[in-house]
Amino acid sequence: MSDRLVSELCGVRLENPLVNGSGTLDALVAGTLGLAAYVTKTITLRPREGNAPQRIAETPAGMVNSIGLANPGLDAFCGSVAPALAELAVPLVVSVGGWSHREYAEAVRRVSALPGVAAVELNVSCPNVDTGCISIGSDPAETRALLRRCSAASDLPLLVKLSPSVADVAAIGEAAAEGGAAGLVVINTVRGMAIDRDTLRPLLGGGGGGLSGPAVKPVGLHAVFHCFARTGLPIVGMGGVASTQDVVEYHAAGAVAVGLGTALLRDPGLPARILPELDGELARRGLASVAELVGYAHQAQAKALQEI
Amino acid sequence: MPPLHRRSLPVTAVEAVGAYTLLRLRNDGGDAGRPGQFFMLQADPEPAAAYLPRALSAAWANEREIAFLIDTRGEGTRGLAAAARISLLGPLGKGFRIAEGPALLVGGGIGAAVLPWLRSELAHAGRAPRTLLGFRSPAHAVCAALVDPEADVVLEPVLVTEPLARLLPFPGTVYACGPDPMLQAVAAVCAEHNVRCQVAMEAAMACGFGACYGCAVRIDGAWRRLCIEGPVLESGRILV
Repeated sequence: MSDRLVSELCGVRLENPLVNGSGTLDALVAGTLGLAAYVTKTITLRPREGNAPQRIAETPAGMVNSIGLANPGLDAFCGSVAPALAELAVPLVVSVGGWSHREYAEAVRRVSALPGVAAVELNVSCPNVDTGCISIGSDPAETRALLRRCSAASDLPLLVKLSPSVADVAAIGEAAAEGGAAGLVVINTVRGMAIDRDTLRPLLGGGGGGLSGPAVKPVGLHAVFHCFARTGLPIVGMGGVASTQDVVEYHAAGAVAVGLGTALLRDPGLPARILPELDGELARRGLASVAELVGYAHQAQAKALQEI
Repeated sequence: MPPLHRRSLPVTAVEAVGAYTLLRLRNDGGDAGRPGQFFMLQADPEPAAAYLPRALSAAWANEREIAFLIDTRGEGTRGLAAAARISLLGPLGKGFRIAEGPALLVGGGIGAAVLPWLRSELAHAGRAPRTLLGFRSPAHAVCAALVDPEADVVLEPVLVTEPLARLLPFPGTVYACGPDPMLQAVAAVCAEHNVRCQVAMEAAMACGFGACYGCAVRIDGAWRRLCIEGPVLESGRILV
């Protein structure tokens, strides 16, 4: 693949701009499929079985999930999962979640000490747990305080994964930046739910869930656009990415890297098809690198405004 | 690592089998897997109405053909039955293990879909099984002939566990596929008689290869991914 596709995220070199969204690719099962980094499923201090089924429901142009942060817990992750992940040929980003600032800081401290970890993602946006997590990521002051505490516990870049289901996602991004975040991951799933068509009761075991897939792409683009404008932080953009054009649009909105999630579940061959197309698209537009595309939509808007 | 390469196969026939539909694809020589494994199927080109692929086990499969018996109940399955080509990922998961000794097949409803191939494998191994099938109507029971022309068939309100209970204890292995309550009942009665039993389960899946954690079922007392642990399991692992 050409050098045009090389990107960088918080000082971490990426061979291409595509990564997976946390929780959408089990590396030990699937390999990395051509992605430039591997982001783990969110790890919590204690093991979690996850929510009772039904956990997924199809929607028009997407799905609602209520997995509930199923994971083996920090001890098992550090002991038996992380050593295998460190063997992957791409940078490793460990996603962590918790129910208090103390839990996040403990998880950040311990995963930062593992060999081969390039960055830590703070999931403050899971819609499928009742407390902690998204309640922290819905409040700028909480987010700022969390980042201050976690920054003190790690020398690695901290990425903060934001929920679009808040009044002003960029305000949360700004608070994360003030607290010491190195980058943002935008967006997590959009809060949603499904009703069983026969019983007319909530279909998902967790009650509500998170909407993903092409249905949420405009929500993700909007969030990335405004986080880019107001924070200047490097952004991993995601939400409904399913094609080369989607990747290009997320870069234009301000993403230095682009996450594939739900589309990867449907078709793990997608990254291998997108990458050569993306290379061709950059060449066609006369761009020497992904970096030249990042934030392009903002320049275009300024220009359009001047013309008016 | 499982095969994670999708391939698009042409549909050669769509045949009504009573209330169900038999979807026959021309295989391109690719891996057909084993009885009880499954594929993720999506109409090609993708219909707007069905975003997720459907997880289905083959009625039979070899290097020339892969056939699925489908209960067309919603837009996704109707889309599969109307497609000229099917994009599929697989084979995935763990299938039936052919055990030593005599075999008894037990199927409920569309669970019969996975049994024709298993029966022919057992017959090849010199263990042609006795077959018990239960359906909700005569139209649904038409597919029994695909599994075993000599199958014992019961219709609701009679449940397939009734003839099964009369055959136990059984000096061999029970292989079962059907709705969860049926499999729980089969697992319980087999445990009671200390009879080995393998069950093929079903769950809503988004990916089929362990990434989404959507297909959790109660296995060994915990929520575990059916696509990785199963879909065929020793029945003792699902007893609640």
